[in-house]
Amino acid sequence: MTRNSLTFKLALLVLAFSTLILGAVLTTTYLFSRSLIIEQAEENSHIRGREVANLLASLIKPIEQSGDNIGLVLEDADISGIKLENLTHHVVSNNPRLFGMAIAFEPFVHSRDKLFFAPYSYRKDGEMAVTQLGSSDYRYFYKDWYQLPRELGHAVWTEPYFDHDGCEALIASYAVPFYRRQGKAHIFAGVIRADISLDWLQELISSIKLYDSGYAAMISRNGTFIYHPVGELMFNETIFSLAEELGDEELWRIGRDMISGRTGFIQRDSVRDHRPSFLLHMPLPLDGWSLAFLFPVDEVLRDTRALTRSSLITGLLGFVIFTLVISASVRRMISPLGKLSKGAMEIADGNLHAELPAPVSKDEIGQLTESFGQMQESLQSYIENLKRTTTEKERIESELRIAHDIQMGILPKTFPPFPDRVEFDIFASLVPAREVGGDLYDFFFIDENQFCFLIGDVSGKGVPAAFLMAVTKTLLKTVATEGFKPGQILEKVNNDLAEDNEACMFVTLFLAILDTRSGELSYASAGHNPPLVISSAKGEFLPSLHEPVAGAMEGMGYSTVKMTLEPNDMVFLYTDGVTEAMNEDEELYSDKKLLNLVNEKQYNSSQELIQTVAGSVATFAGRAEQSDDITMLGVRYTGEQR
Amino acid sequence: MECTTTKEGKLFIVDVAGRLDANTAGKFESNCSDWLAQGETDMIVDMSGVDYISSAGLRSILISAKKLRVHDGDIVFCGLQGMVEEVFKMSGFEKMFKVFATREQAVEG
Repeated sequence: MTRNSLTFKLALLVLAFSTLILGAVLTTTYLFSRSLIIEQAEENSHIRGREVANLLASLIKPIEQSGDNIGLVLEDADISGIKLENLTHHVVSNNPRLFGMAIAFEPFVHSRDKLFFAPYSYRKDGEMAVTQLGSSDYRYFYKDWYQLPRELGHAVWTEPYFDHDGCEALIASYAVPFYRRQGKAHIFAGVIRADISLDWLQELISSIKLYDSGYAAMISRNGTFIYHPVGELMFNETIFSLAEELGDEELWRIGRDMISGRTGFIQRDSVRDHRPSFLLHMPLPLDGWSLAFLFPVDEVLRDTRALTRSSLITGLLGFVIFTLVISASVRRMISPLGKLSKGAMEIADGNLHAELPAPVSKDEIGQLTESFGQMQESLQSYIENLKRTTTEKERIESELRIAHDIQMGILPKTFPPFPDRVEFDIFASLVPAREVGGDLYDFFFIDENQFCFLIGDVSGKGVPAAFLMAVTKTLLKTVATEGFKPGQILEKVNNDLAEDNEACMFVTLFLAILDTRSGELSYASAGHNPPLVISSAKGEFLPSLHEPVAGAMEGMGYSTVKMTLEPNDMVFLYTDGVTEAMNEDEELYSDKKLLNLVNEKQYNSSQELIQTVAGSVATFAGRAEQSDDITMLGVRYTGEQR
Repeated sequence: MECTTTKEGKLFIVDVAGRLDANTAGKFESNCSDWLAQGETDMIVDMSGVDYISSAGLRSILISAKKLRVHDGDIVFCGLQGMVEEVFKMSGFEKMFKVFATREQAVEG
């Protein structure tokens, strides 16, 4: 299968299109399912996020409420009468998610003698412990958890911090300011602090699994990583410091969106392992805290990709099979074409018998094969025919040439033939038709003064006519030189010709003998056109003797007629090629036209007369094909003597 | 050229019409051969319908006559007109064959 073969092109076309279609289908399917899967992944991560948020809310709410309630209680209660240690102990031990609780008073508010008063109950190694916060090393009034609610005048969640003085653990606190009523005024009296353990929160967040290696991260209100799988980030970095460090503007924007409490879903490389991942962030019900999920794109799309891959493999497999099937079937279908083309080339090279494949199918190729077969047959028969007709034509042409050569070869053609004879002048011409008509003329001296001249027309055409013409001419000369009279000559020649003349060919003859001294002319005719005798510019046909053509029948008698020519009289002999010459309208030249031409003027030589007649006949015939030899012979008796 | 034959008693009469030239001479010749094969050795040829005869036509007559004469038969003509009559005269065919002016004369023979 060469690159130019039809099989190759056809297969290529079909396969190119099917590849295109396969590609389009796969791409569309992939893109569609991809977007579907991504949507689903976003939806799933949202749901997980909300679950986490709800869980967190359900855990945080009671803690906040307990802080708020205590605040309200302290406003009016006679705090001196309450054992505050018991209160915090009671609240913490009844709330398993509450890690610890402190009620921290302003200096000298609880007792006029105490700078610090802040009973603190908390969990330590699974037991409840109680302590008093505040010392010269730990002046709690200046801590965030105390300052913030005091300054803001409402409850806040603190940033995570390590509580060195109290529980010695990593915690975040819900800090609620409380007031004492003095008359109509509310006087700030201290802060209630409810702690949660971040270990617990980290555990919760780290337990969130998305896909195989997805993870969650949590940041606080000012961007500090509360939880991140990269442990060193936690509490050491904020999302903004990390963004700065990485030169990652996008991360910075994400951080800003997160602490603003917005929800977002984007695709980016993860900080942990730089894999392309989806990131969903959403706010948590924890005072500006925010949660983010990251899960690798390829894990999300794994199924889709697997599906696409298996579709692709199936498609490619189908493609290969399709290729093989198409190639094979196309090759099988058009295999006759190759043979046909080879056969056609051979035919073109001239081998008309080149082998062509037999038409096997009825389709276009079968039809083509059949047409080629027919063309081959037609060509063969045409060439055969052409050969035959060419041969035939060549044969005919060669016969015509032979006939022409015979005829023209034996006629005397030198004029004047007897330049020293002044008694007469003679001229003759023979224009053979394409198919030689067998005309003849001849002239010779029988003796010193007896000049014989003759004209004849053999019936039939071609080689047989030329042969008969040659035989006749020879016979005539042989017989004439023996000294017979014209009638006798014709009689003898007729008998010789008629003998064994199976073909019944005959010849018309006019033979005359001129006595050059006296002008006496004796003549005889064997069925020939009567010649013209022109005397004093007036022509007259010699009367027909009605004697039979020569060669037709033995034993015919011919008479000899005598007349005397006056000086300058002319005898004009011709064959029917002259008077029966036809023009394009199939009209005959005619005796009458000949006579008129002869009578037109005085002709001073036989040559002049003959050339004039020849010109007139040629003009008359125009473009019509000459069908018979045109032969003329003229003798002018001058009367002069040697 | 068309030939129509009539049998009047023992006489076999051929009416020839049209041109007797190089194109039709062969047909006339073969017709005569057929008639001879049917046993007709003597025939009267009525030439009144012939308006042209060429040397080929004359030759076909000669050939046919020769065949008939071999079988002791003969061919006679009648009804020659115009050019045909002239040709017959000039070529001396009148001296070679019996030529009657009319068909009746030929039949009476």
